[in-house]
Amino acid sequence: MTSGCEHALEYVYSYLDEEISFFHQSRVSAHLRTCASCTSAYEFERRLKALIRERGRTEPPPELFDALRALIQEEREGGGPR
Amino acid sequence: MADQADFEKDAMQYAPQLYSAALRMTRKPADAEDVVQETFLKAYRAYDTFTAGTNLKAWLYRILTNTYINKYRKQQRRPAEVELGELQDLYLYKRLGEQSGAAQSAEADMLDAFVDEDIIEALESLPENFRLPVLLADVDGFAYKEIADILDIPIGTVMSRLHRGRKALQRKLWTVAEARGLTGTAQ
Repeated sequence: MTSGCEHALEYVYSYLDEEISFFHQSRVSAHLRTCASCTSAYEFERRLKALIRERGRTEPPPELFDALRALIQEEREGGGPR
Repeated sequence: MADQADFEKDAMQYAPQLYSAALRMTRKPADAEDVVQETFLKAYRAYDTFTAGTNLKAWLYRILTNTYINKYRKQQRRPAEVELGELQDLYLYKRLGEQSGAAQSAEADMLDAFVDEDIIEALESLPENFRLPVLLADVDGFAYKEIADILDIPIGTVMSRLHRGRKALQRKLWTVAEARGLTGTAQ
């Protein structure tokens, strides 16, 4: 574990979230080109993040859209608070 | 200023994401529908205060999270400002690495064994103050600054809750993997 590894692991989330300064991003990128161990950790976190994005969502029941349209329609016609 | 007549056309595209986020928050489909309907009604009524051309998705999420918090946090005896214990960084990666031994990239391949229900269970297991930042960042793809605006908390708080929430999510995924015998320890 070098200081480059320590730096890379400290910034893993900000790097993957693209919330990192150019300076730190460049330093991490340079380190990853030479360190298989950190590259493997980064690859894991990147895939986990993608997995949560893909699998963490649930589709609504189709009736929801009709219910929302009806709600807006009613509000538009009736006006005022319920 | 946005035109109220455009609301349906502008906002309906976000209904699926808003519903999904509401379901992860409430954990119950009927409650999620209620929260989304109330969000749409409030957003429609306030649409003339929304500045056209700015971030509509974030504006709707702000109304959604406020609606959820006002409606459901009251039902709890005390707000869920839960603390999580100390967890090591890269929790899941390290635990899976202990199992897979030397094989390169075996940890990442093990992620393929998780099904939708595992991810959903892990997300919904998080205490609320950590669950919301994780949902907004990892499922909905909001930037830290947007999450800070949606939840009305400082950006540093977003970052620390996100950091700890993700570790807790990884710990939960590890227990799910163990329970399903994916780790090689439960067989």
